[in-house]
This record gives sequence, C-alpha cells and structure tokens, in this order.
Amino acid sequence: MSGCSHMRYLSPSNARLQRVKMAKKKVDDKNSQNEDGTKNEAGYSSNDDEPNFSDPEGFVDDISDEELLGDILKQKPKETDGFESVIIVDGVPQVGTNRLEKLKSVINKIFVKFGNIVNEYYPVTADGTTKGYIFIEYSSPVHAAEAVRATNNFKLDKQHTFQVNLFTDFEKYEQIPTKWEPPEPQPYQGQSDLHYYLLEPDAYDQFAVVAAQGQFVQIWQNTQPDPTLLEARNTWTQTCIKWSPLGTFLATFHRLGIALWAGPSFAQYKRFAHANVQFIDFSSCEKYLVTYSPQGDPHNPEQKKIIIWDIRTGLEKRSFNPEGTCSWPIFRWSHDDKYFARIGSSNNSNDALQVYETPSFGLLDKKSIKIAGIRDFNWSPTDNVVAYWVAENKDVPASVTLLEIPNRNEVRKKNLFNVADCKIHWQKSGDYLCVKVDRYSKIRKEKNEIKYSGMYCNFEIFHMREKQIPVDSVECKEPIQAFAWEPVGSKFAMIHGESPNINVSFYEVRIGQAPILLKKLEKRACNHLFWSPGGRFIVLAGLGSNGGGSLEFVDAHDFLVMNATDHFQMSDVEWDPTGRYVITAVSFWKTKVDTGYWLWSFQGKILKRVNLEKFAQILWRPRPPTLLSEEKQKEIKKNLKKYYPQFESKDRMRQSKASKELIEKRAALMEKFNQYREQRIKEWQENKARRLALRNNVDTDELDADTENVEEEVVEFFIKEETTVID
Amino acid sequence: MKPIMLQGHERAITQIKYNREGDLLFSSSKDNKPNVWYSLNGERLGSFNGHQGVVWCIDVDWTTSRFMSGAGDRTCRIWDCETGKEIGCINTASSVRTCMFSYSANMAVYTTDKAMKQDCEMFIIDTRVVDESTGQQDPILRIPIKGSRVSSILWDLDDSIISGHENGEITQWDLKTGRQINSVKEHDNLINDMQWNKDGTMFITASKDHTAKLFDAKDLLLLKSYKTERPVNSAAISPIAEHVVLGGGQEAMDVTTTSTRVGKFDSRFFHMVFEEEFGRVKGHFGPINSVAFHPDGKSYSSGGEDGYVRVHTFDSSYFEYNFDY
Repeated sequence: MSGCSHMRYLSPSNARLQRVKMAKKKVDDKNSQNEDGTKNEAGYSSNDDEPNFSDPEGFVDDISDEELLGDILKQKPKETDGFESVIIVDGVPQVGTNRLEKLKSVINKIFVKFGNIVNEYYPVTADGTTKGYIFIEYSSPVHAAEAVRATNNFKLDKQHTFQVNLFTDFEKYEQIPTKWEPPEPQPYQGQSDLHYYLLEPDAYDQFAVVAAQGQFVQIWQNTQPDPTLLEARNTWTQTCIKWSPLGTFLATFHRLGIALWAGPSFAQYKRFAHANVQFIDFSSCEKYLVTYSPQGDPHNPEQKKIIIWDIRTGLEKRSFNPEGTCSWPIFRWSHDDKYFARIGSSNNSNDALQVYETPSFGLLDKKSIKIAGIRDFNWSPTDNVVAYWVAENKDVPASVTLLEIPNRNEVRKKNLFNVADCKIHWQKSGDYLCVKVDRYSKIRKEKNEIKYSGMYCNFEIFHMREKQIPVDSVECKEPIQAFAWEPVGSKFAMIHGESPNINVSFYEVRIGQAPILLKKLEKRACNHLFWSPGGRFIVLAGLGSNGGGSLEFVDAHDFLVMNATDHFQMSDVEWDPTGRYVITAVSFWKTKVDTGYWLWSFQGKILKRVNLEKFAQILWRPRPPTLLSEEKQKEIKKNLKKYYPQFESKDRMRQSKASKELIEKRAALMEKFNQYREQRIKEWQENKARRLALRNNVDTDELDADTENVEEEVVEFFIKEETTVID
Repeated sequence: MKPIMLQGHERAITQIKYNREGDLLFSSSKDNKPNVWYSLNGERLGSFNGHQGVVWCIDVDWTTSRFMSGAGDRTCRIWDCETGKEIGCINTASSVRTCMFSYSANMAVYTTDKAMKQDCEMFIIDTRVVDESTGQQDPILRIPIKGSRVSSILWDLDDSIISGHENGEITQWDLKTGRQINSVKEHDNLINDMQWNKDGTMFITASKDHTAKLFDAKDLLLLKSYKTERPVNSAAISPIAEHVVLGGGQEAMDVTTTSTRVGKFDSRFFHMVFEEEFGRVKGHFGPINSVAFHPDGKSYSSGGEDGYVRVHTFDSSYFEYNFDY
C-alpha cells in the first residue's frame, strides 16, 4: 500500500515540472503567436532531441493559469486599457447639427479646466442630433478623475444636470450581479440621549473649563455644595471650545477641523473636516454649523474658506468665500434657522444684503437685496425681521430700516443725521430694538480719512410690539462705555462718562412713553455690564488690565448694591443659564498670574475660588428655552412660597451631609497623624538621656522644664510719658 | 492686636530667630548689621557690627551666649551675645548661605555658595572654644556638595544634618562618616527655609515651588503639603497648636504693580494635619522672607523684604478657634 502511494505521489510532480517548462515557452512566444504560430509548431516537431511535452490525450489540467503565472496574467491587456482617461458625460443638451458647434464650445469651456482634452466624441442619431451623452478623453487619467469629481451633478441650466462617469466605471456597473442580495442589516447604533443633562433632577448646570492652551478640558457639574467633575480629557481641543446655542453639542477645534461631542459620555457626534478652521458659528436652532478657515487648506486650495454644514448628517451644504471686509459671524441666522444672511459687496463697497434660505441653501428669490451702503445688520431674536443701517452718502441721510423676510416689507425706516456709527442691539425677547447712534457735530476730511469731532450719542428705541413701531430717542452727551438690554423685561443699562467719573444709568421703556431714567449710579469703577439671563439682576464689572477687576452685584428692582467686591485682573464674567450663579475668571490668555475662576451666587456671595495654572477658558453649558407656558411660569412664581421649604430642607441636608463628610475626613486624618506621632513621641522620650547629655543635664524639652537654672531678671521698659500741668 | 513694628534695618530682612526662651528676637538683613530685640516690646537691645556684606543667615545657641552669622562678605562670624563683640571669624571662599549651632552648641555648621568657581561646601566646626584662632583651625568635617547647592540647613541633635537644596532635594548626612544617608526630592524648586517642630521629630520646609511641606525627620517621609499661589520663603510650626504659618509672596523682582494684593504678602495659617488654610495676617508691603513662632506659641514674628520685622501677639480668638473633627 505504502509503496503504491509513493509512486502516485511522484508522478504528478513530474508532470507539473514538465508543464512549467512548457508554459514558459508559451509565454515567450506569446507576442509573436499570431504571425508565426504555425512556424513555431513546425519548429518544435522538427527538433528531435526535445522530449514530447504534450499532454497525453484526455489529460485534465488540475492547475489554473492564475496559479502558474499570476504575475504575468496581471499584465494582460484589458478591454478598458487606455480608457482610464476617458469620461462619459450624460445629461448634455440634445442639439441639431446647426447648434453643435455652440454646444461643443460650451462643453469645452467647462471641461478644459481639468486638463488637456485629446479627443472628444459626440454620438449623433440618424438625423444628426446629438444623443445627449458625449465622450471626452484627457491626456491623463488624473485629469479625468478630477473632471468627474468636479462636474458630476453639475447644473448646466434648469433642465440639464451632468452625470459624469469614468469610462472604466461602466465595466464596474456592467458586472452588477443580476440577482440582488439583500445587504446585511447593520446593528442598530442607538443614539445616546443628547439632552440627558436637562433631566438633572436638581437642575444643576454644567460648565466646561479649558486649561493649558487647550490641551486639557474638564466638564463640571455645578452641584451643591461643591461642583463635581464629570469628564476630563487631555488634548481634547487644540485652541478653545464652544457650546452650541442650546447646549446640545460641545465643539472642539483641531488643525483638521471641528469635532462635536454630545451625549452622557461626551462621545464624538460628528466631525467636520476644514483645515485650519478658526471661527465657527452655530445656527440658532443648532441645525447648521458654519466654519471659517481664513487661511484655507494649503493642500486643497480649491476648498472654500467658509463652509456651512448640516450638523445631523455631517454633510457640507454650501461653501463660500468671504467678500470684502466683514466681521464674524459673517453669516447671521434667523431665529428659526430658515434664513441666513450676509452683507454682499462688489468693488470694495457693501451694496447688498444676501439672504439665503434653508434647506435649499439658495438665495432667497434667487437674488440679493440691493442696499447701497449697508453697514451692518442683525436678525430679531424672535421674528424674521432684519434691522440694518445705511451710512450717509452725500445728500442721502443715514437710516435704520426694519425689513421683513421673506416678503421684503420695509416695516419701519428711520432717517438719522450726522451719523458716525451705529450699533444694533436687539432685546433678547425681541420686544425692543435699540440702535446706538454715534453722532458728530463737526466733520473734517484729512487725506481720505474722515475725522469726527464733538461726538455725542443717541439711543433710538424701537417699540417692536406696538402699532407702526414708534421710535423714541435718548440722548447722552458723554461717551458710552457699554450698553445692555435686560434679557427679560423692559430695562436697559448703560455705562457712560469718562474716568474717573464713570456712571451707570438704568432706563425703563414703557408703552407709549419715552424711556425714563430710573436710577443713576455715580462714580463706578466698571466697564462692562452683565445682566442675569433671567433679568432683574446685573453685574457691573471692570474687566481687563485697567478695569481693576471690580465687581458690583446690583438688584435692578430697587437698585440695591447687594455686594461690591473684586476679582483682581478678571477677564471674563459668565452667568449660568438660569441666573443663579456667576463665574468670574482670570484667563491665561490675558494675564499670566493668578489664573483661575471664582464662583459666586447671584447676590455676590463667594462660593468657591479655584486657582488653576494656565487656566484659559470657562463656559457654562447653555440651556434651551423653557417649555413651560407663560401661565405655568406665572403659577410657579405665585406659588414659590410653597416650594421654598422643599428646597430649603434639601439644601440643609446637602450642607449637613457635606459637613459630615468633611468632619469624617478630618477625623480620619487626625487619627492617622496621631498614630504616627505616638511612635515618634515614644522614641523622643527614650532619647531624653541623650539630649540631657548634650546640654549639660539641663532639661530644655519644655520652656519651663528647668526651673533651677532660671535667673529672674527685671527689665524696666519705658512705656508712656504723661505731662500733667499742675496749677 | 496691633503688631509691634521693629524698625532698625535699612534693607530687606533675611532671617529672624527667637532664642530658646523667646525673650529675644534676632534679625539679619541685607544691610550688614544683625540686630537683637526684646520680643516683648520691640525695643532694640543692640547690633552686631562688623559684616561688610549681606547677612544671609543667623543662629543663636541654646544658652543665648553666642550668636553666629554668615554673610556675603565671605565670612562666618561668632559673637558674644551679651557684649555684641565678635569673638571668632572664619574667612570662606564664597558667601555663607546657611549656618546653625548643633543641639549642644559644641559644633556648628555653615555652608558656602557655589560661586566664583567655588563649589558649594559644608563645614562642621568645633565651637567649644571660640577665639581668634577659630578662623585658622581646620574644620572637623568638610563635605563638598556635588550637584545642587545648599539653601537651608538643620542639625538633628549633634548626630546628623539635614540640608535643603536649590533644586528642591532634601538630604540627610551622617556626621560620623560624612556620608549621605538619605535623600528625597519632594519639592520642584529651591528650599528657602527649614524649621523644626518643638520636639525635633518633624520639620517644615518652605519652597519657591509655592508649597510648604512637613517631613518626618527620621526617614524624610513627606507627611503634609500646604499649597499657595506664591513662592513660600519661610514656614514655622506652632509649639502649642497644630498650626503652621507660611510667609512668602511674589518675588520682589517679579512685582510689576504696586498693589500688595497681587503679591499676596500675607502670613498664612494652615492647620498642620488637615492642610486647610484658616487665617491670614496682612501687613508687609513686600514678600515675607522669614517667619518664626515665639517658643511659647502666643505670638509670632515675620520679617519682610520691606525691611520691617512685625511681632504679632495672637488675640484670644486665635486660641478659641477650633476645627471640628
């Protein structure tokens, strides 16, 4: 048995050897096979020394060509060879012979951008009209691929959209199996609850801290009595961070683009690749993200500098390049994400308002709104109304206009004279609009530079909710340092005057009346105003190097200064979204020493001081607006007394728990320390003889241990001199 | 209580020390003349005149009979406390940065700076008899310090020496062999000062790395850390309570504004075991360079870059204050 199997083993291997030799011969002759195939055959047979390599009749080859000469087969020419540079363009207009030349020139214009066209072919029907698809051959496959990438789905006009493919792809599409196999269902990736943080039973807010130039990001929950750390990651961002306006997403900046993080564990939600991105802006409802990379991507110069993304899909919706000089955000969103707009310019002058609509991302009504000399604009926070202002031009005065979108109704226009500059301030509830108008008494022109003098200031208050939108004016002769609307309510505050006579004035706007001055706080050391998001409370702050870090917590109900204090060199003031806490911070970006953040109650009571080396940025996580109806909110306010004891007892419990924990911790520390000390004190006592020996047997262990050697010394001091005059 | 201001120095205070009984307070300054004061009322008792350079370090023996000072004039001098006369002077190759009598005062140690191509060195000298010949005598032991220079020093009885270094290292030396026994590095920056607790089993360090730390003297085990936002120049342990006091502040050369608030020139009190800060004492308008507790624990003093020594007697509220545990 064994011998037999051995034999069988030998014989096929011999056969294989022979065949390999033969196959090599075949390959050698392959090129000339067609011409002199017969001659070769003759050659073989004529050679008598050569053994017969032919397979015996009926031999079945059990070895495939791929196995034998796979490396060579790869080089076998394919039908499509030489066609990699060819593209097929479908969706081309069908034209007759008379217009063929025109078509060709149009097509050429589009496709010559991608490389040298070596060949083109326009198939025609019997009567000479083109068939609607064409073939274009480039000099290199690279150009062809580029053309496909750039022109596929290119809109030539309303009826014609190009479908562009590589010619070689047609082979791919031909080989699609006839039998359809249903794809494997992908396991369901449950989206984590993006709004989990709103379900916090105690309504604790979160805040994010960035330290050491963006390498270190912490997310804290502002629990009572001490905040708890939720998440901390190194190198989470490269520069800074930003929350989305409703607080759902955390955006981090990277060299390659923006990453969004969301959900309970801050998992990555989406990435938006935009090299060297420096500015981002979310749309009001967090549907879209605008990224702006001022330098662009050096490896991809074609990429535009501003890209608008759909956050949910992560897809690019549209991209732009910035026009003229404009301030960020270049695109400003309406409150409902339906529209976004920017100032359009040509020849270095702003001449239009470009309003785009979503989700088509086209210009509203396909044309921009021509407004010569438009300087700035802003959307109402609650309505689709745009307020913009136009600088004066020769005889035409400056003006502020309210424009309804999409119907482009001018709902109000106010002309203004002697205007140097305007600032548009919408009140957060959209009830009022204030335009701060810087006006001049004199104007001079010096070498193309306009110089104003005798500056004063007007506040034009638009009552948005009243019929025909009446406008009131408040004049102020002093320079204005800051202006701020109460987010909810009808008050506004401003800082005016020159150092050291800086005053803070509070006004109230009432229906049918000019704004009335409620209170003027005089001689204050502040330069910024921070209203509580809930209104009523305001923080007057002196930021920056010359602000001194002064802080005043004011109740604007009765203008009581609840606390006046300071946080030296403070650079930021941030209210939490509910208006319960204030954070003041000294950022490493501004000052190098004593960086960190302090947490205050809204009354100005210090709760916590956190000193953090290289601390850079702190941001409260925003909250979406409340879902409670106005009636419900009023009801809660009315019954506040009912809820008060509940919260009170909860707070007390937390306090006592915390103090209990602290006391336990201290007790443990003390016990451990005393244990250690016991041992050492024992050793010390054992060492007494040695100490006595060193000091001539004088006990110096205690201050009064050695009573024998003490010499009482009386030293008299001169204490007081009194002169009494005796009559 | 209103502190007593000791005015007499013309330049920054470098070190202050009470004698064992606490009735006298010695102070040295960059103005070359160490002073001695009655700690009770701040009256100046006298000066030690003779140095021609910044006096960096001082010490007084346990019997308050001899006083020692080391200075930038490259001398280490020993004085008679009662008369204020110089009784011995040792010339050195570079500035004397630290000096201290041993427990028995039979020996003393001083260290020299690494400067003028001189390496840092530690000298142990015999001080049983101090006279004109002291300067010519060979030291008992001479230890060259390779590595980082010594910036503070402590005797452990008469047996070993603990040195704090510029790089934050703490090293223990055996005097019988002159060898290093142990070394730890718990600080990241220069150790400005080291002081014993009352029984000499623990010591506290003050470092430029913004912390003060409590160590076990036997095995140099780190026990506690007290953190601040500024360099700590000096730290002391209360002899009667579980309190430590830290003095320091923004370095004078780094102070750009005149505001004392930025400098944080306060004495800061920490609980020794809980490491919690519980009090601050304001007053100096420059960094505090040296702090010391009175041996009875009822007052403490601080000497500052501003040239003043302030003697603070604690109010009754200080003794009534207790941590809950």
